[in-house]
Amino acid sequence: MKMKKLTALLLAGVMVMSAALTGCGSGDSGSGSEKDSGGQAGERKKITVLLRSSETSAKYIILKKLLTEFSEENGLEEPEFELVSGDADYVTKLQLYINSNSLPDIYGCANGALSAAAKDIDAMVNVGDELERIGMKDDMNSAVYDFFTDADDGNVYLFPESLNCEFFFYRKDIFDKYDLEAPKDWDEFLAVCKTLKEKGEIPVVVAGKENWQLMRYLSFAPWRMTKDGFIKGYMEGTETFSDNIAAKSGAELLHTMGTEEYFQGGFLSTDYTAATDLFFGGTGCMWYSGSGQITQASEMYEAGELGFFAVPDVKGEDNMDTNVPIHGGFGTAFNAQTYDDTMKECFQYICENYSEACYKEAKVFSPFNDEMPEGLDSLFYDLYPMFETATDAWVSWDDKLDSATLTSLVDEQQKLAQGSETPEEFEKAADSFITK
Amino acid sequence: MQKAFGRKKVILMFLLPALIVYILFVVVSVVWAGFYSFFDWSGVGEKTFIGIQNYVQLMQDATFWATVGHTLAYTVICVLIQVFGGLLFAIFLTRLTKGRALLQTLYYVPVVISSVAICQIFSKLLSVTPIGVINAVLSIFHADLATMEWISNGEVSLYVAAFVEGYKYLGLYMVIFYAALIGVPKDLEEAAIVDGANVIQQYWRVKIPYIKPVIISNCILVLNGSLRSFDISYLLTKGGPGNASELMSTYMYKQAFSSMKYGYGSAIAMVIVIICMVVGFTFRRVTERGETA
Repeated sequence: MKMKKLTALLLAGVMVMSAALTGCGSGDSGSGSEKDSGGQAGERKKITVLLRSSETSAKYIILKKLLTEFSEENGLEEPEFELVSGDADYVTKLQLYINSNSLPDIYGCANGALSAAAKDIDAMVNVGDELERIGMKDDMNSAVYDFFTDADDGNVYLFPESLNCEFFFYRKDIFDKYDLEAPKDWDEFLAVCKTLKEKGEIPVVVAGKENWQLMRYLSFAPWRMTKDGFIKGYMEGTETFSDNIAAKSGAELLHTMGTEEYFQGGFLSTDYTAATDLFFGGTGCMWYSGSGQITQASEMYEAGELGFFAVPDVKGEDNMDTNVPIHGGFGTAFNAQTYDDTMKECFQYICENYSEACYKEAKVFSPFNDEMPEGLDSLFYDLYPMFETATDAWVSWDDKLDSATLTSLVDEQQKLAQGSETPEEFEKAADSFITK
Repeated sequence: MQKAFGRKKVILMFLLPALIVYILFVVVSVVWAGFYSFFDWSGVGEKTFIGIQNYVQLMQDATFWATVGHTLAYTVICVLIQVFGGLLFAIFLTRLTKGRALLQTLYYVPVVISSVAICQIFSKLLSVTPIGVINAVLSIFHADLATMEWISNGEVSLYVAAFVEGYKYLGLYMVIFYAALIGVPKDLEEAAIVDGANVIQQYWRVKIPYIKPVIISNCILVLNGSLRSFDISYLLTKGGPGNASELMSTYMYKQAFSSMKYGYGSAIAMVIVIICMVVGFTFRRVTERGETA
């Protein structure tokens, strides 16, 4: 009996030991994979990438091409891509990597809490310095560079996805039919909407399910009038929606658009893909979109059915010169912990070949001021003058607001757009998020 | 052999693996969430111990209490559709002699379709622009119904989400009830017929009381499932518009993963666990009392 117990104990001991050793083994393999990718120890075998992207996204298309070419030229294995398309899923994944200090060589990251946490563990290369090192800092579009400037220290830690400019597409044929002109200020914009509504048209298509689409209408006026003045002041508690004319104007605009039914029916349940399909499928007269949709817009544009106009002015107020929101999309960070000589070379290779990949592969504007190649869709050449000399970037509230305030504001903006809340109620609620 | 199965050690040997898995994946997670609920933490970086501050804030959070109300309403609708609807469908199935297998399979299909696909289907069916099938059909009766908003209307979005959840799992409970109903001894049914019971009385007086334990089990399953329900509401309405169809679990998710308030999200998760346990135990107590009476 004792012998049996002893044997059982021995077996249990062996099991515990083997489990513990397995754990150690997996730990080893973990650091092994670090060796594979990072430059902390041993020779680099491949480049690892984590992106908030799908396989059809411009960012993936560009980086896949450039990193594959670079790896081939430098005798590395195929780059390893991990793609996560959902925003929340991506944040969770990134948090996991930051907490375990095992970020890949290149990863997508937005300005804010996550970039701050990545900086804290020294996992972000100063992209501004690196651009300076390779002599390409001045080649980057000033507005795009401005977009990624860190609010805390003024450095740039994120590399742009592309140059994205946003504007309104409008149906030229419908505007001509009702003798309407592209609006210059928001009063004209609302007047155009009213006329179109009366004629039985859907004035504006909006992807209300996407937080950023409705938030644009809230932030157009504050951006044109204060650039980032209002939103910074709001976060610091020195500005309020209730007192700021620009912010009030934004809230009023979104409320009017929603309650006067200038958006399509059921707009709060329309996602970006559905809204795109609606507009380019012939529904609606205006659609706030941008250079990312040149491919979809080209056919209608060539046929003379489409036109575009910039963000209207706020009438009677001082508006800044830049009227086309320009940004660099979802930023890309380079992991400082694995930024070895190979990665430095890789960075240079990416920068030098980025424009070609943007125009030829992904069909998007390059963040670098390189000359555009011939043979692109005519929209590329027609849009370019709108932002050629722009120096002020778009101020994305999604980036500037902390996550908690952003989430609360998103809920409130839906109520505002749907009319279940008045602009005054919205302002009061929005102001309470900061005092909280 | 029978002797061996009666021994405590053997019983323990069979129960232990499941118990270990349960402790590792459920109990440890709950304890861990409880631990995080005492911290102010964004999910990355330093955690700050704040004691019961998250719970104090939660008690004063009007949105959270609204989500409790929404979840209860959602649960009631789900119980009605899944348990009573499932029972009704099962009764109809037992009355069929032809095409029963086909219908049974058709009703069960939504159970095996993923929630994402179900929500996509309903988004299209209930769409306003372009007009979906449901509004197109309704507009035959009244033109205004062509622009009726289902998903983006704060007054009905919660009920629509609950209906979709109910629809998805109705087939599952229908199959369970069907199995229970065909398991009712024939002699009981025959005795009822001999006593002069009509079809309704056979079900109401004999068969349904006979399968009462199954009904209670299903009620508990649906109760627990609905109180923790997340996917349909999140995918279909994202808890909106505003917070109109926000459930406790979607609110917890938003706080933890969108607002990046892990500590606060964990506190909500703990309260959800407590509410689920209280509702579950209360329901069990009430039904037990009914059984003994």
